[in-house]
Amino acid sequence: MDVPSVRGNEVMVLRSPPLLSAENLAVRYPNGEIALRNVTFDIDAPSFMAIIGPNGSGKSTLVRTALGLIKPTYGRLSVMGYDSVKEHGKIRKMVRYVPQSEHIGLTVPMKVKDIVLMGRLLKKMPPRFATNRDRERAHEALKQVDMDGLWNRPFPELSGGQRQRVLVARALASEGSLLILDEPLAGTDVASQDLIVEVLGTYHRENDVSIIMVTHDLNPIHRYVKDVLLLKNTVVGIGEPCSVMDSELMKKVYGPTAYIVEYAGHKYCMTRDSGVDRHN
Amino acid sequence: MQRALLGAVLVAIVAAASGTFMVFRGLSFMASGVAHAALGGTALGLFLQDTGLVPWFDPILGALLFSVLVAVFTGYAGESGIAQKMEVAVGVSFALSMSLAVFLMYYIPPYRVPQIWGYLIGDILLLNDMDIILLGATTALLAAITLMFNKEFVYVSVDMEGSEAHGMNAKLYHYMLLIVSALAIALATKAVGAILVYAVLVAPAAASNEIMKSVRGVILAVFLIAVGSEFFGIAVSFVVHVSPSAVAGILAGLSYLVALQIKRIRERVDVDLSLLASPQPNAETVLEESVEHSPAHHSH
Repeated sequence: MDVPSVRGNEVMVLRSPPLLSAENLAVRYPNGEIALRNVTFDIDAPSFMAIIGPNGSGKSTLVRTALGLIKPTYGRLSVMGYDSVKEHGKIRKMVRYVPQSEHIGLTVPMKVKDIVLMGRLLKKMPPRFATNRDRERAHEALKQVDMDGLWNRPFPELSGGQRQRVLVARALASEGSLLILDEPLAGTDVASQDLIVEVLGTYHRENDVSIIMVTHDLNPIHRYVKDVLLLKNTVVGIGEPCSVMDSELMKKVYGPTAYIVEYAGHKYCMTRDSGVDRHN
Repeated sequence: MQRALLGAVLVAIVAAASGTFMVFRGLSFMASGVAHAALGGTALGLFLQDTGLVPWFDPILGALLFSVLVAVFTGYAGESGIAQKMEVAVGVSFALSMSLAVFLMYYIPPYRVPQIWGYLIGDILLLNDMDIILLGATTALLAAITLMFNKEFVYVSVDMEGSEAHGMNAKLYHYMLLIVSALAIALATKAVGAILVYAVLVAPAAASNEIMKSVRGVILAVFLIAVGSEFFGIAVSFVVHVSPSAVAGILAGLSYLVALQIKRIRERVDVDLSLLASPQPNAETVLEESVEHSPAHHSH
């Protein structure tokens, strides 16, 4: 883990508290089942990190614990040095969060612009009026995800992929040094996936922000992210994407059908679900 | 008559402010749940007064207390933002307080029992000054809170978890919305009767949500539908011997059917337009392509 930074910013890395730091963390689902146990790891800030694992592996639970939405049963988790239970107010102040898109209610006739502005207005005090600058930033964010033409469209009428892009724009438009996105690639086609990952990668490079992204597939993102946390109710692997792309680790997470292929200098993880190994 | 018109406007404001958000949150059942819970509260108030246990406990206090309890119970069930759980909580508290009302009826002198049922059978033409003052004050409170916090209420309805994670006190607004709505619903029921409250709190909001494309549009449309059907009901009741609430209820209910129909027609028109718009250029390009390709084919 203690890989010295070669970018010449060791001093900064040493000084700033870790992005995420878990100590012997255990968390239960609301129904009492154990979602996470014996979770101990550190990730340096700033980072573009991915939390990877199959369904039910505790990925969303980990980020929801980090936001102070769930309390740990045991151990502790801190975000940028702030404790997730005692100091969740400070954490939430710097966070821009996008929950899983199925948690976004579609009964309210919100327009695309309302959703994107929401990210900015939530950081204000009531009455949360949108200024011209808010609208500018919202337009810019929508342009980044190629959705600016849908400014006045009702959000519930969009396709699943379009909704994800708009939600990513909500995070981009807002303010705060930490973006947390839960399954931003769910229900998107390959084009949208590439666009979202690339936009987030660029945003991380050009701004002083960290990004935590929950997803179940490492393939679309491994060329962009810096750190990967492999989760299956406990930490299975952690490190750079290439070191995590190991067939032993992948088998642990995704089962015995998982294997690694190398193509054009990059490693990809294949499982039976990928549809590739049906031909051999 | 003036009181009736004023009452109609007040109830329409309640519908626009809380009916809209109830429908947004998938809680269209809440109006009847709160009204019947208040019935249990009225019974409790009468019981406490009559047995001399708590002589100052006015039945209306009981009604308000119970409606707030329903709101808190519903809010607690829905803290995770799941609408179905809240709907179940409304149903359970409905049954619970109705049972309590019937239970207490055995211990209340029979001549006061009609007062319990009377809670549900208000009449907009028989409003007294006290009704207007109470309803007016609650409506003003509800309207002020909704004006001030409408964004928060929308955010709680759309993305409770995200709002909380961004640092907004989502739970506070979640409970505030439910409690103030419950108070307004309980007082409106007492003043104008259950039928009218159900009618204008659910159907206009459901109708507007089908066809309007912005939150502000929905709120305005609810107010107009509600006030329109109420005024029409009152007007008709002066000409024909009918209950104004019943006429208003029928009109408001029909507004939902009309809205569904409008939505269906609008969707059909959209489909027709896209069918009309796209095939023509396609047909032309296909034609052009085939014309372009045909010499090549001949040359083979």
